[in-house]
Amino acid sequence: MLHLNSPGNYGGEIILFFDFHVNDDLKLVDEVERLGYGGLALFSNSKENKHENASGSGTSSRVNSIKIYKGTLIHAKNPEIMRQKVKKSRKKAHVIMVHGGDQKINRAACEDPQVDILSVPYMKRRDCGINHVMAKKAAHNEVAIELNIGYLTKTKYYRHYKVLSHFREILKLKRKYNFPLIITSDAKSIYDLHTPQDLMALSRCFGMERGEAENALSETPLKIIERSNIRNKVVVEGVKLID
Amino acid sequence: MKLKILPSHLRNKKRYLAFETLSEKPLNRDEVISLIWESAWSLYGSCGVSRFDLWVVKIWKCNTSGQNIIKGILRCRREEVGRVRSIFPLINRFKGKKVVFHTLGVSGTIKSARRKFIKES
Repeated sequence: MLHLNSPGNYGGEIILFFDFHVNDDLKLVDEVERLGYGGLALFSNSKENKHENASGSGTSSRVNSIKIYKGTLIHAKNPEIMRQKVKKSRKKAHVIMVHGGDQKINRAACEDPQVDILSVPYMKRRDCGINHVMAKKAAHNEVAIELNIGYLTKTKYYRHYKVLSHFREILKLKRKYNFPLIITSDAKSIYDLHTPQDLMALSRCFGMERGEAENALSETPLKIIERSNIRNKVVVEGVKLID
Repeated sequence: MKLKILPSHLRNKKRYLAFETLSEKPLNRDEVISLIWESAWSLYGSCGVSRFDLWVVKIWKCNTSGQNIIKGILRCRREEVGRVRSIFPLINRFKGKKVVFHTLGVSGTIKSARRKFIKES
């Protein structure tokens, strides 16, 4: 099949889009490439290593023009277990994502600079899962909050309003406290993937400007990878080893 | 009797969205139309959809390698292209089977939409 979109070209400036929540599957990598993304982070969904997985094992040997990063999705029952798992898997993966929903987990993830992304903090909640305190912490520790489009699309249509209002709340806090925001697809099959341009159009439904959507799909993932690359060289906060 | 056509400055400006559909089950034209309309209605409501001026112009079946692929052209009002585009990511199921819509591109005429996004592929 023909490639749908080349990387976004806006006024001569080329923007690489990333999807940082994709299931570890060869078909998905090919489809992501066809849809015009510049890179992706793969998370394994297998139950036996659900808690800590260095994924991308099946796909890393393949030759693709897009960048593939290893991700670890952490499910934890309490903050202490979460911290232990984050510490354990930090060196194995480029991207550490914590599955949110529980208020204590949400807060602990926002307070931990080792965490890259807090996934679905609004899951099974009546509020958006983060408040002004967590927003400040997330901004300070550069923990990105995930706007999961898969969660929106899989919700029944008569409950879309609820997810959209959660996204709006998060966006409001983002504009005030300026924490990183990331849009992901949470794709488990090729039918869950969408073009970056369609996701940007959808993000207007919850009040996101075009520039904000572009940042959420492009700049935030790049910053996460940049931080991940220099993390090993950082001795303490503000001090870095130079070759 | 058919009404006389409006002068060009009074006509609504249109845009043509080329789209493709991948589905587990083969879809026909009516099913594609109902999927688009239901998704648009659930997201924007009757009032919102009435502004879009939606019309499925034509669809093509391009089944390859066991995948059910449909390509088509959807007409909408020029000012509403962004909103119409946002309908597509929310379509994910049809009768319990998975389905996905992708926008291939936006064009000003049917001819160029076909040439750029449908015929070439």
